[in-house]
Amino acid sequence: MTVYPEGQRDGVWAHPYQLASGQTQQHRLGHTHLWVTLLDQEWQVRFVVQQPEDSADPLTWFETIGHSLPSSEIPVQRFVRSGDNGEVCFIPAMASLPTVIRPSQPLTVPAGGRCVLYVGTNLWMKVCVGEGRSELTEVPLAVPSRTWLGRNSMEGEICYASSTYGRLALEAVPKRPWRAVTPVTIINRRERPLLLERFSLPTPLLSVYRNGQGLLWTPGITVECETDMNSASLRIDQSAPQAAGECELLAPAREKLAKGRRLVRAFDHIFG
Amino acid sequence: MLETLQTTIAQVIGSIAWGKWLSAGFLLVLGIVLATFVARSVGRLVETRTTRHHQVMIRRVFFYLVFLLFAIAALREAGFSLEVVLGAAGILTVAIGFASQTSASNIISGLFLVMEKPFEIGDTIEVDATIGEVVAIDLLSVKLRTADNLYVRIPNETLIKTRVINRSRFPIRRIDLVLGIAYAEDVEKVQDLLLELAQQNTVCLEEPKPFVLVTGFGASSVDLQFSFWVPREEFLDGRGSMMIVVKKALDEHGIEIPFPHTSVYAGSHSEPFRVQLMAPEQQKDKDSPDVDRND
Repeated sequence: MTVYPEGQRDGVWAHPYQLASGQTQQHRLGHTHLWVTLLDQEWQVRFVVQQPEDSADPLTWFETIGHSLPSSEIPVQRFVRSGDNGEVCFIPAMASLPTVIRPSQPLTVPAGGRCVLYVGTNLWMKVCVGEGRSELTEVPLAVPSRTWLGRNSMEGEICYASSTYGRLALEAVPKRPWRAVTPVTIINRRERPLLLERFSLPTPLLSVYRNGQGLLWTPGITVECETDMNSASLRIDQSAPQAAGECELLAPAREKLAKGRRLVRAFDHIFG
Repeated sequence: MLETLQTTIAQVIGSIAWGKWLSAGFLLVLGIVLATFVARSVGRLVETRTTRHHQVMIRRVFFYLVFLLFAIAALREAGFSLEVVLGAAGILTVAIGFASQTSASNIISGLFLVMEKPFEIGDTIEVDATIGEVVAIDLLSVKLRTADNLYVRIPNETLIKTRVINRSRFPIRRIDLVLGIAYAEDVEKVQDLLLELAQQNTVCLEEPKPFVLVTGFGASSVDLQFSFWVPREEFLDGRGSMMIVVKKALDEHGIEIPFPHTSVYAGSHSEPFRVQLMAPEQQKDKDSPDVDRND
């Protein structure tokens, strides 16, 4: 069991925390340090997102309630209170742009083959207050890095970039509370092998679930490369993946896709 | 005499069909009001589905269509036959064409601009050293708002004739920073340092990949071009923030950005020329092998 300094404990997603006027709740999650302060008339939110100097990613979420404020250099966002009861909770959200996943070593899917990759993507944290959980602001949990995905510099779209190990075994996926795991099934129906250097994950269309161990998952995605077409179809499951076990829905997707619709996209828009 | 004049005026006034002219005038005013209303309604209807540029174009087309219908009705009401009006319009066009070549040329250029669509409302364009955001594309001219908030009117003809750079056409842009480093510095080390800065800066896109080129051996420095891509909305921020971090990083690593300087040789490396110091107490000894002291 982890032993924390006095007052510190593990943070929990979608858990209502009660603050009294003058108190500040402090969080350290992912690459982000967050302070939420409750005053008589207002909420104050301060945060810093900083790449850790050592490359090791933090695996825990520290949370503590006290009366100390961070240095005045950290910018503060102020929100007027409107009849809330001093309750604050934190809801995870997927990226608002598609995320380009780049396995650190390219992976080849042979002709007619299929594989399941477990990819982790960075989350954003929505600070919500009151019983109605009205959203104050949104905080990235890692320094967001962006990239361009398209055939050339004229056609394409700006996406978030995320490098991953492209793990094929579920057990090897690290358990980090600030990243959500998506099982991606890739089916190659073409007659030649598919070299997977990068592919685009439609993160705005994914909802976030939590399983019994407190890990965050998104519904699975199936990418099917058609035989003679220069396009690939993409299907998003309706519920949490089986591999995650029993799950509860924490946050719906940012954008909705018509039910049962398959997303057919140009090959360049999925695999770069 | 005066009586005759009065009678003639009374006859002329009496012969004018006031009722017809009034109803024609009323039709014209109604046309303007209705056309404005229709154009606004259609504009609101398409607001969420199209760009601002298309919305303005659609509004304008609907305005002119409705107004034209009412104008024709008004002319009929006033007693003009359409054929005669069109014939007169033909002659008028020739007359106008000769009289106002510039305006006609601008109108035609404007039509070509609308068809060719080199830019849209909201784009940032550069025309003859004027850079600004397009706020209106009208019949005779295009209006720009510059970054220092000036209103610039550019005739359509100028836009057709000169080179126009649209800075907002593509979603991403490349920034090329040119910097010089001293000849004594390790170029590969600087190259790695710059690429690392691009990786750390959140404005820089990971792909297309940033790169560093050695562009030449200048008079005082080895010239480098450091290129990286940013989203077009963050061009200025990207350029400014990167220049600051480049300067900081080069200073931290002790890499010199030289100012222009000239080395003077006496004609041969082996024979240094003599420099006689007249006031040695005022000079600082810099251990220079080329200086002889006459104490």
